[in-house]
Parts: sequence; structure tokens; C-alpha cells
Amino acid sequence: MICEDARLLIGADPESASPELEEHLHGCAGCAALREEMRRLNADIRRALEQPPDLHLPRRSTAAPRWREWALAASVVLATVAGIAVWLLRPTDTLAHEVVTHVRGEPDSWLSAHSVSVGALDHSLRRSGVGLDFASDRIVYAQSCWFRGHYVPHLVVQTAQGPATVLILRHVQVKAPDYFHESGMSGVIVPAGDGSIAVLARGRGQMGDLAGELRQEVHWLPEPKDPS
Amino acid sequence: MRNSSSSSPVSSLGDRLRGADARASLTALFESLRPDLVRFAQWLARDRAVAEDIVQEALLRAWRSRDALKEPAAARAWLLTIVRREHARLYERKRLELVSLDEAAEIPDSAARASGDAELLTLREGIMKLPLEYREPLVMQVLGGFSTEEIARELELTGTAVLTRLFRARHKLRALCGTDAAPGAAPREEPA
Repeated sequence: MICEDARLLIGADPESASPELEEHLHGCAGCAALREEMRRLNADIRRALEQPPDLHLPRRSTAAPRWREWALAASVVLATVAGIAVWLLRPTDTLAHEVVTHVRGEPDSWLSAHSVSVGALDHSLRRSGVGLDFASDRIVYAQSCWFRGHYVPHLVVQTAQGPATVLILRHVQVKAPDYFHESGMSGVIVPAGDGSIAVLARGRGQMGDLAGELRQEVHWLPEPKDPS
Repeated sequence: MRNSSSSSPVSSLGDRLRGADARASLTALFESLRPDLVRFAQWLARDRAVAEDIVQEALLRAWRSRDALKEPAAARAWLLTIVRREHARLYERKRLELVSLDEAAEIPDSAARASGDAELLTLREGIMKLPLEYREPLVMQVLGGFSTEEIARELELTGTAVLTRLFRARHKLRALCGTDAAPGAAPREEPA
């Protein structure tokens, strides 16, 4: 091995210790010194990379006008007050009631007859960090809905008894199956891992089987940090 | 991959991991590796939000093809590879350097400043400023633990081209740290 090859190898991978290189280093003090130096540098590079880089969002302007700061502060206060008001005034109803209310708010969901695209289904699931091993051709409606502070998949599944609505509630835990009948809908909310699944149909359909099937097929993926 | 196990099981990890417990285990494994993946993605993308997106997309892809994962011990390298490919996809799609060199130079580095290590700060800034063609193999090698052969395969380069890029990356960093000398002069132009 000649010095040029040795130096290339040392510079590319200071930790390399091939027999040819070692033999060369025995007889070449210059290359041996270079390797020691490159190993020290490599240790520093490793140390430098161990922490993520300090990154911030690109600055669009150097200084915001003062009125903008006040407007921002005012909007934060207003949003906080509005949030507290909404929280205090919210109805203290059951989870089942909230689910039924939500589903009633999307009456068109029951009318879908065609299978949703894989992309639409995927979007509604991934936004909530939900995986679903379920025949997608049975799913005729898939939306990502805001529910109890989180985006949740809102699906409609075709069953032998007609369409059934499914809400996959990753952040809502229930201890046991909760059967309900309200506003012309009946269904069940079952525990699923650290979350739960609500399945309901119009009329008095038996949703227990579908809920049990979904329980086996739903799994939680790493949750998106910033769902969008 | 250095220091990784080299067993060749008949069935995939996905085959053996069935049911809710197995999925939870795999999810936990992915989550435990997430900080490594984000850090890796941040050094590649030089943008926190983009890095988070890359990792999220990579984890989704990984989950969908989890049957390809043979052993938990191989998960880190496997996921890092997916993150790199996701970054490459994004980079090719958008054709942009996510943070300009000037902005990179202005980025305050609290980690290095806190340690009071000027050389470390210089190095971190230097790595941030390296062109992607040098930064990528360097981060893969040092942070990801990939061998030269693995990097060559992943980047679709010859082994010599990877050696050259790694050499040049260190050469530039060495120059930044003020220890550059003639003996380490850059090699001839790399073969494609």
C-alpha cells in the first residue's frame, strides 16, 4: 500500500484497521501520525453529532411591529378565555352521547355506497396514528374528525345489516363494553388497547360482532407530533 | 452495519409478532428508536419540522412493511435506512436545500455553547455547512454506524466514491478545526 491509498483510507474511515493498512503504518510514521489525528477528529465528530443540531424556523422578518405583539397577546388571552368558557359550558354527557352527537352531525356519511380510496383511508388513519388491518373495500366513508381534542378516524363500514359507523378513539379509555341506544342509533363502545372503538348503527343493529372484529384489527402507531 | 447481529431466521419478525402484544412490542421498539431517527433526520434535513415529517413518514412505511424486519436488533439500521430514503425522496421532490448555508451559519448552537467547547461548536457548524453529498455519508457512518460498503449500496455509489466523499468531509472539517495539513490533501476526483 502506498501513502496516498493509506491516507485516503484513514481519512475516510479512521477506525479502519485492515492488515494492509496496519502493515503500511508500521513503516510510515507520517501516516501513523495522521491516523492518530484523524481518530481524535473522528471522536470529536461523533461527539458533535450526538446532540441534534440546534434548529429553528427560518426567520421571515427581523422584528415584528409592536402592534403585532399586542395583537398576538390579545388573541392568546381571548383564546384562553374562550377555551375556558367552552370547557365550563360543555355538556357533561356521556361518551356515548358525544359519539351519537358527532355522528348526527355528519348525516351524509350514512349515504356513501362506494369504497373509499386507499389514500383517503390512509390519511384518516395516519393522522391519528392508527393502523387498521381491515378489508378496505368494506369501508365506504373515511374522515379524520376532531373529537375530544384529537383527530380520530371516522369510518362507515358496510355490514350485512347495513352501514355501521366506527370512531376509533385512541385517547379515550373505557373499562368495559358500553352498549347504548340513543336518538335512533344503537351501538357499543369497546376497550381497545389504551383506547377504545365506538361502533354504532341506525336502528337497533347488533354491533358487538363488528366491534370485536375491529378490536383485533386496530393497532396504535407512533402518534404524529403535528397532525395536519 | 457494524456490531449488528448477523443471524438469518427463517421467519420474519412480523410473522412471529402477531396479536396485540406483538404490535405493542413493535410500536414500543419503534418509539424507543424515534429520538435516534429524529436526530439522524435533523442532521440530514437541517430543519426540525421537516425532520419530524420525514421520521413520521418513515415510521409509517416501516410499519406497513414490518414483515421485512427479521430481527429486533436490526431495527435501528433498518429504520435509519428508511429515514434516509425518505429524506432523499423529499429532497429530490422539492429540489431544495432545506436550510440555506447562511441560515445554517447563523443558527445558535446552545448545546455546544452550554458545554463551552469552541471546537465542538465549530465542528457542529461545519457539519451543518457540509454539502449533502459529504454530510450524508458522514452522518450515516458516524451516527448510523453504516460500513463503507453499506453506504455505497445505499447511495448507489462505488466504494471508492464513498471513501472519497468521506475523506473530503473529514478534510473540510479538519481544515475548519485548524489542523489541516498537506499530507491529507484531497484525493483525485471520485469515480461516479
